[in-house]
Amino acid sequence: MALKNLRIAAVATAALVALAGCSAGGSSDSSGSTASDCAASTGKVDLSFTTWVPGMDKVVDIWNKANPDIQVTVSTVPNGNSGTYQNFFTQLKAGNAPDLGQVEYDTLPAFRVQDGLANIASCDGVQAAKADFADGLWNQVTFGEDNSVYAIPQDSGPMALYYRKDLFEKNNIPIPTTWDEYAADAVKIKALGGQITNFPKGDVNWFAGLVSQAGGQWFDTSDGTWDVNLTSDVSTKVANYWQDLLDKQLVSTIPGFTDQWNNAYDTGADWTWVSAVWGANTISSGAPSTTGDWAVAPMPQWDAAAPTSGAWGGSSSVVFKGTKHPAEASKFLLWLNTSTEALTALNTEANLFPASSTGATLPALSEGVPFYGDQKIYELFSEQSKVVSPFTWGPTMTQTYSDVSDGFAAAIGGSGTLLDALKDGQTKTVAALQAQSIPVK
Amino acid sequence: MSTSTLPAAAAAAGARPAKTPRPTRGKLRNKRAVAILILPFGLLFAAFYLFPVIYAVVESLQVIKREGTFGIPHLEFGGLTQYVLVFQNTEFWASIARVLAFGVVQVPIMLGLALLFALLLDSPLVKGKKFFRLAFFAPYAVPGVIAAIMWGYLYSPSLSPFQFVTSQVNLLDGGTVLWAVANVVTWVYVGYNMLIIYSALLAIPAELYEAARLDGASQMRIAWSIKIPLVMPAIVLTAVFSVIGTLQLITEPQVFKQFTSSITSTFTPNLLVYTTAAVPNLNLAAAFSVVLAIATFILSFAVLRLTQRRVAL
Repeated sequence: MALKNLRIAAVATAALVALAGCSAGGSSDSSGSTASDCAASTGKVDLSFTTWVPGMDKVVDIWNKANPDIQVTVSTVPNGNSGTYQNFFTQLKAGNAPDLGQVEYDTLPAFRVQDGLANIASCDGVQAAKADFADGLWNQVTFGEDNSVYAIPQDSGPMALYYRKDLFEKNNIPIPTTWDEYAADAVKIKALGGQITNFPKGDVNWFAGLVSQAGGQWFDTSDGTWDVNLTSDVSTKVANYWQDLLDKQLVSTIPGFTDQWNNAYDTGADWTWVSAVWGANTISSGAPSTTGDWAVAPMPQWDAAAPTSGAWGGSSSVVFKGTKHPAEASKFLLWLNTSTEALTALNTEANLFPASSTGATLPALSEGVPFYGDQKIYELFSEQSKVVSPFTWGPTMTQTYSDVSDGFAAAIGGSGTLLDALKDGQTKTVAALQAQSIPVK
Repeated sequence: MSTSTLPAAAAAAGARPAKTPRPTRGKLRNKRAVAILILPFGLLFAAFYLFPVIYAVVESLQVIKREGTFGIPHLEFGGLTQYVLVFQNTEFWASIARVLAFGVVQVPIMLGLALLFALLLDSPLVKGKKFFRLAFFAPYAVPGVIAAIMWGYLYSPSLSPFQFVTSQVNLLDGGTVLWAVANVVTWVYVGYNMLIIYSALLAIPAELYEAARLDGASQMRIAWSIKIPLVMPAIVLTAVFSVIGTLQLITEPQVFKQFTSSITSTFTPNLLVYTTAAVPNLNLAAAFSVVLAIATFILSFAVLRLTQRRVAL
């Protein structure tokens, strides 16, 4: 009797193992990375679209009314690095990813490496859309390859300097145009009891933006393998610059995008923020009592003679692998990200700064913004987006971010430096690539 | 049980009268009833416990292979490759050491308080028992995430209502944040553990107290010599739960990341698993989980063995 039970248990276990083996190996037999043929489906098509753009449902309503045969359902989720990317990866593995999703430029390589993106290059109108975007952005979604398009750019995140105009003027402090001036101002502001800015340990993508502005690169794939270099001379220069500000306690070290952080800006404890165009809303909603006190200037420069900017964030819209309707999905994405109708709605609903050149001419983008003393800030960001230095992202940015962030936290806590964090991030990123058997130099 | 099963059982038994004599028929019927009663549990247990465990083990034995910069990934059997990585990972062992230090300090404090409160509730000298029982238990009814957020605000240097303290001493500093987390966990779980011990106290027969009082024992003496030894099994149970809970710590540190820079993505073993799975490196994350599960298993058994020996004495 006992023996028989044991045998049943063994069979059951074997069945479970077999089942587990099946689902584990299920993702291995997907097709190659060549552009799949993009045949249109017949009949009514339902598409699911997962995004964290606020108000996207209202924009999609416009599409749904005009296109009864291609109905899009929106799910609004937390932003990518707050768990949505992890959900996407899990859904892809389980084979039930949505048809469409939002992915920031820095995470596109990770999704491609995990074989999560459909190549929509052969879909109608996709290749033609190239003309609508700056070369640098288009390069992010094609990985510089021919006959490859893995996403349609949605918005971009050129960076500039947000500063408390009223405080700078009242105290006769000049607006910094170089990083040297920025550090000098930091000392003056400290003497007045404030802090020039905040160094957020978690926003490693922000730090990458600073490195890219300085002309640095962290990744390179030009010779067929991944070359990881978080500690180049340029990265070292930027890390040492901020380490110096940290050592002199000239910057606060609050985790970004938290209530404490909002409070620091709302109460005037922090005076500036080097941030992307979408940060305009972050400040106005987080620091409402400073309405009218802010202004925007170009980023401080390393070389004033050759001004550059960096980019932070910015999203693309992707078609996930496994969708049955790539043609309809691409058609919707082209409408969403290149039509005046959709871009106007996105700008109204979510204050999105469009990536497409069609979007750059929206009337709303040439108006003064009351929170910034009626400054026409979007015109300034448009100018800045023309001097954004291109940057190549790695295939495991989630890991790179969290390892560098842990090192930044240690540096803030007084053990190690920001440069040590980059060195550690370098070692761990190489290890992470090897673990995924991604060829790395 | 269900009406359709009984006649079916009887019919099955009736078809082979020679082989199944009367006495065993009742036994057989019982067995079927047992099987039916166990089925819902068994299915859910298999689906949500057994299968995930086996799946994790299978995942942990695989490695990813690919060709070229953006090659398509595929899984291959990798033997113990992931486990080698686990044992080489210093952060993993640092996080285990961190939660062990946490457990060594926090679990005795929490269980000590739980026992104290249970004894007070059980003592005839205390008034307003119903109120206190509810008051002590209330924090457990607060969801863990909410409790962590609430305490996060209380600790916060710039937002706390107790800023006169928090602006002087940073409770969320690298050196103190572990104990700030310990305080939240204690706050949440004291009442829960108290209730387990308290219900064990209620089960002690009143004659024992009567006999002790006749012998001239004070309330202190009764608590020390009768109540505590008799509720020892309940205390052991809460200790095992607490040890498991300590190793699985994730909610509070994850929430506290919003309040402080001192909590890294590898602060506790479960956070490390979560971070690794997010890469996504599911195979290594699975190996971490399996090792963590085995460590939890060993530690719980060690606690049981150690304490049971003492109880037996």
